[in-house]
Amino acid sequence: MSTNTAEGAEAATRNPRKSPIPGITLTLATFIALAILWALATSITGLIPERILPGPEDVATRLFELVVEPFAGAALGGHLLASLQRWGYGVLLAAIAGIPFGILTGWVPPIRSAVNPIFEALRYIPPFAWIPIAVIWLGASLESQALVVAVAAFPPIVINTRLGVTQIDSVILKAAKTLGANDRQTLWRIVTPLVGPQIVSGLRIGLGNGWMTLVGAELVVGKIGLGSMIVKGQATLSTPTILVGMAAIGIIAACIDYAILVARDRIFSWTRAQ
Amino acid sequence: MMSDEVTTSSGASNANRKVSPPNPSQRAKRVRLVPLNPLDMTGASSQKTALALIGALSTIIVIGAWWALTGSNGPIPDLYFASPPEVVKAAVTYMTEPYQGSTVYGHAISSLKTVLLGWLAAALVGVPFGIWVGWSRFARWTLYPVFQVIRPIPPIAWIPLALMWFGIGEQSRVFVVFLSAFVPWAINSMQAVESTDSRLIQAARVFGATESYTLRRVVLKTGIPTILAAGQIAMGNAWTTVVAAELLGAYTGLGYMALTSSRTLDIDILVMAMLLLGLIGALLSAIMKLLTSMLAPRGVRL
Repeated sequence: MSTNTAEGAEAATRNPRKSPIPGITLTLATFIALAILWALATSITGLIPERILPGPEDVATRLFELVVEPFAGAALGGHLLASLQRWGYGVLLAAIAGIPFGILTGWVPPIRSAVNPIFEALRYIPPFAWIPIAVIWLGASLESQALVVAVAAFPPIVINTRLGVTQIDSVILKAAKTLGANDRQTLWRIVTPLVGPQIVSGLRIGLGNGWMTLVGAELVVGKIGLGSMIVKGQATLSTPTILVGMAAIGIIAACIDYAILVARDRIFSWTRAQ
Repeated sequence: MMSDEVTTSSGASNANRKVSPPNPSQRAKRVRLVPLNPLDMTGASSQKTALALIGALSTIIVIGAWWALTGSNGPIPDLYFASPPEVVKAAVTYMTEPYQGSTVYGHAISSLKTVLLGWLAAALVGVPFGIWVGWSRFARWTLYPVFQVIRPIPPIAWIPLALMWFGIGEQSRVFVVFLSAFVPWAINSMQAVESTDSRLIQAARVFGATESYTLRRVVLKTGIPTILAAGQIAMGNAWTTVVAAELLGAYTGLGYMALTSSRTLDIDILVMAMLLLGLIGALLSAIMKLLTSMLAPRGVRL
């Protein structure tokens, strides 16, 4: 990003008469052009059938319908809340288990060696492969979907937490001790600031993985949730429903990621400079 | 996005390590290396052996516990988990006998084919896309925003739309795998171009290099390790995604095998399919790591 703007500034000084079109204008023009193209290809000329790509007004109408009247068990808000609830349980479970697990395995090498072979072996099983067995264990329920979310979110949380712990230089800890810091001060003033940002990076990946996996789990099992909504949309050949659901899933994913970044910058303000 | 790899953060730590002076522990290690004696079982080497022993022991204990807890006389009922001998038996049986149309090999090859096709197609499109976005101001402000708007939608959520477009079959699976692998290829290629030392580019321009020559000989040469590193992440994403795609739109593949066996409560086949998915995933990751280190021996810069 920085090199790019520097190049832009450089180009401007090199040739002052030919000032480039502002980037934001280009972006706006792109989106407007895409919208016009979309409307032209679908609703205006009917070149692309609605089953493949519905027109903008079809999607807008469907969005309004989904918001006010239930489809596949609930209105859009209901599906959204159901998904968020399962995701919340799953990632909470992963964080509660994963952060202490990461700290413990990072801090105590014998525990790390004892746990690592099994952890590494299981880590490579794709989270979606746990869906069938989770359904056998817990049925097509909130619990089984939360379990799959937790399985997906757990490894990145553990790995990043552990990385943060193992990166602490023992010299810093010794220095703190020499300068008379007690255990509590060491934990809060040295360990937490060093490990915290790494834990947040792990949470960021884990929360994203969890959301993605939840959608996958809802596609396969379950009666309610954004994933099952788009599957029902496909079953009823309603492409507008699929598009509305996809947009909702994408917006939630972006919001989750943004919220974590904002939280990280608030809590660990010194990492922003990096 | 999907990978657990901590590429960026570990890259940052490497950079830190380069800057900071060697810490005392490293110095101590260097001193210790001088009296190298294989029979010397004190210090670091004996500690390493002990840790490896702990690892081996715990693996044996876990497999033993799995064996003891499952099976006909274990406390966990057959319905919930299969014992190691049952899993091995299922694997041996279905290596020759077909299960749902093909043998284990057939299903594994079907999954691998989908993954490789999607991964390769993503590389062919994603790398030029990333380079273009990283190099050209125009692409950066037009294509990149569109990419950023679509990116948060998980590839999995495209499955129903893919099924509408292509129907149940290879095509829709390859499409979804392609989407999952595209993001790392594109992002890393973009970063590879952006992270090129601007002094190198300026030097090339001063010596009269054309834009395309600078791009080929300066930017891409220094960026190759970063681009190659994407292959590994993309492969991980692809392998994860193919399972989901097979749960929904397939009549072959290891994911389909897992789902079907769970519906008929053949838990031995299900556990075997899961372990096989993990094993092949680990193998693919190892192969990609090897390829990266062979093609870019100077190491990966991120």
